[in-house]
Amino acid sequence: MGGMPATAGGIDVRPVVLKLDNVSKEFPGVKALSGVSFDLRAGEVHAVCGENGAGKSTLMKIISGVYQPNGGTVTYKGEPVQFATTLQSEAAGIAIIHQELNLVPHLTVAENIYLAREPRRGWLVDRRRLIADAKRCLDRLGVDIDPNVQVRTLSVAQCQMVEIAKALSLNATVLIMDEPTSSLTEQEAQLLFKVIRDLKAEGTGIIYISHRLDEMAEIVDRVTVLRDGRYISTDDFADLTIDDIVARMVGRSLEDKFPEPTRVPGEDVIFSVSGLTRTGVFSDVSFDIRRGEILGFAGLMGAGRTEVARAIFGADPLDAGTITLDGDALKITDPRSAIEAGIAYLSEDRKAQGLAVKMPVDANLVMARMQAVSNSVGVIDRKQHRDASQRYVDLLNIRTPSLSQPVRLLSGGNQQKIIIGKWLFREPRIMFFDEPTRGIDVGAKFAIYQIMDELAANGIGIVLISSELPEVLGMSDRVAVFHGGRIMATLNTRDTNQEEIMHYASGSGRHAGQG
Amino acid sequence: MADITDEKSQPPAQPPQQGRRLSDRQKDIIQKFAALGSLVVLAVIFSATSSAFMTVGNGMTIALQVTSIALLGIGATYVIITGGIDLSVGSVLALAGVVAALVVKELQMPIWIGMLCGILTGSACGLINGLIVTQLKLPPFIATLGMMLIARGVALQITGARAVSGLGESFGELGNGSLFRIESIDDMGFPVVSFPGIPYPVVLMIVIGVIAAFVLNRTVLGRYIYAIGSNADAARLSGVNVSRVTAFTYVVSGTLAGLTGCVLMSRLVTAQPNEGVAYELDAIASAVIGGTSLIGGVGTISGTIIGAFVIGILRNGLNMNGVSAFTQQIIIGLVILVTVWIDQLRNRR
Repeated sequence: MGGMPATAGGIDVRPVVLKLDNVSKEFPGVKALSGVSFDLRAGEVHAVCGENGAGKSTLMKIISGVYQPNGGTVTYKGEPVQFATTLQSEAAGIAIIHQELNLVPHLTVAENIYLAREPRRGWLVDRRRLIADAKRCLDRLGVDIDPNVQVRTLSVAQCQMVEIAKALSLNATVLIMDEPTSSLTEQEAQLLFKVIRDLKAEGTGIIYISHRLDEMAEIVDRVTVLRDGRYISTDDFADLTIDDIVARMVGRSLEDKFPEPTRVPGEDVIFSVSGLTRTGVFSDVSFDIRRGEILGFAGLMGAGRTEVARAIFGADPLDAGTITLDGDALKITDPRSAIEAGIAYLSEDRKAQGLAVKMPVDANLVMARMQAVSNSVGVIDRKQHRDASQRYVDLLNIRTPSLSQPVRLLSGGNQQKIIIGKWLFREPRIMFFDEPTRGIDVGAKFAIYQIMDELAANGIGIVLISSELPEVLGMSDRVAVFHGGRIMATLNTRDTNQEEIMHYASGSGRHAGQG
Repeated sequence: MADITDEKSQPPAQPPQQGRRLSDRQKDIIQKFAALGSLVVLAVIFSATSSAFMTVGNGMTIALQVTSIALLGIGATYVIITGGIDLSVGSVLALAGVVAALVVKELQMPIWIGMLCGILTGSACGLINGLIVTQLKLPPFIATLGMMLIARGVALQITGARAVSGLGESFGELGNGSLFRIESIDDMGFPVVSFPGIPYPVVLMIVIGVIAAFVLNRTVLGRYIYAIGSNADAARLSGVNVSRVTAFTYVVSGTLAGLTGCVLMSRLVTAQPNEGVAYELDAIASAVIGGTSLIGGVGTISGTIIGAFVIGILRNGLNMNGVSAFTQQIIIGLVILVTVWIDQLRNRR
């Protein structure tokens, strides 16, 4: 029982606030959940783990009243309930922090936090109290966000914090957190964990969903594993290793999180940039990539990693600096000239910037190189089109019922593979992977790491931008650490560790070491 | 509890998805047939209520009436698939028509040069729309609203708000002539029409419809048009020249408006600066009835043609049954609401 404070003689005495018994949910043709049981005690953090499509989201939607179960019972505070809408579950004290951000961009932070629940004075909104209450919620999280600014001016991480503040303001009995840290930095995640510990002490029951199993050790008491819509197990977190959980999630054991490298980094530099500056965003950024090497970009959110990659790719303007590929200086004005030069950029935001999700698999795969599947006047050759896309579906092991499947119906891992395939078809020289495994399940992550390693082994220069330090350390040969729009240090991965990287990333180091 | 792995714990992912995909396709087919079916139902109802409806002559009349909606609708479909809108086509067709007429009448130019000038006027208006949208980054609604007022104003200005007539018989050839017309002179010296022929405007509609559908489905350009509507950022980051392709769709819309203007003026053998008021709404309605999504990324030319026929047959049939113009508007308004609602039901979940 792991020495939890509220256990007495091995029996947990905290009351069960929420209990699901044998719950099933069917959609036409798909059994999303079958016979899942789950219970949540007051003051505990109960993690729900499973791969994409395991039924976690469906389960949460049943608890919060988005879906109604086809079978089984939900008991809340000792009484059977069936919420018809999220408004009902919210009124009863069940709050959910969604994975997708549900904020209104043109309203202020305070207005978002109390949307539809504004404190009133007669017919009017009590603005003073609104601001004060919002400020209190934000202070509790320990974040420095002005409640008066419009949400559209905030970063993704700040939006996530506002979303969390909104849920806190409900004073919920049960709080559901769906991937709350996916866009937070290490530091911000720590702030969130502190709040979670406070909430636990106050007796709030928290259901916690995350792909980042390593961070669970900080806060999680029990863990329930789902697989393919079925209940697998519930255990005290302390009794399990992360490998145990992963093995249950995927139904087999995974020896290693990262593949054994097959690439052999050489000495010759294939790509280098120097003195890249975009006023107010980053300045004097220089790095090079050697043949067969994966270069990691580490740093906190907003340190300038994505911004540098986007500028090199021509998606944002550059004020100064030179870019050299194979000894030739490149003139990049827009993404087209960058692509022409052999640079590929895999965006951190797949759905917003990487894929045309309404379009089918094959159309997305050939999108960046239509000229290769069409004749000189631009008429598409259907056979070439089909063969080329089929080749990448096979090569990357993309799981799709057909080439004409709309991309939005595929899992995150397969979507990411389609973006990789799209760029591979372009035969790029340099690829920027921006958060390539965010929101992707464990098995698919491994496959993507393998692909990156193979590409590097084939002589493609790779930059890996990641907020997960273990990923940067596990996958790159050298790491450039960003802080405040500058590279603070470039370190050899095998000579460094998380502490040293964090030291530079937080801005404490000032010398630019060379690996 | 830890490891339940019987054969049922791995439900094969294929069958349910396969099922869904198939039913998606079935839904698509059903919707296409629903639109076609409603066309047939309309035709049956109208031929039952009016004996003059189901005649070759009336069929040609409908086809003629539909051509202008369909040509404008094709342009509207291109623009709407990219996520834009073109409100200017009604005014642009009037401007194009009067330009064609004035070139013929005032400059004494051959008719084909006049028509060409008219069509190019339409293209120019479309190009300006496209540049305003892609370079000045104004919302398409505003850009084309401006063009709608400007083009109409110019058309009224250069004609002094008067119709341009006296253009000569041959100006009417494009709008009134037909292909494969079989005519003979009988013993009494009167012409006998054994087959009225296919009117040139209908021929134009068919040819342009086929080309437009081919470009959209089978060319790189068409693929980019869908990609921009589906996700403009992703298209740009894939190397698509988003500005140029978007501007192209407005040029298509403007050019087709110019052509429609020439055809309409030719049919009347008179150029009216007040012609085509609110035609843009018919064009948008035909695209929307045909399944084009105003959010962008979705739409077909065949759907738009069907939509144009739905509107044309409704108007014609209601006219023949003596339904007032006001009631017609109410009915067509309801048809738009219901078809789009059905379309949304289909796309939900």
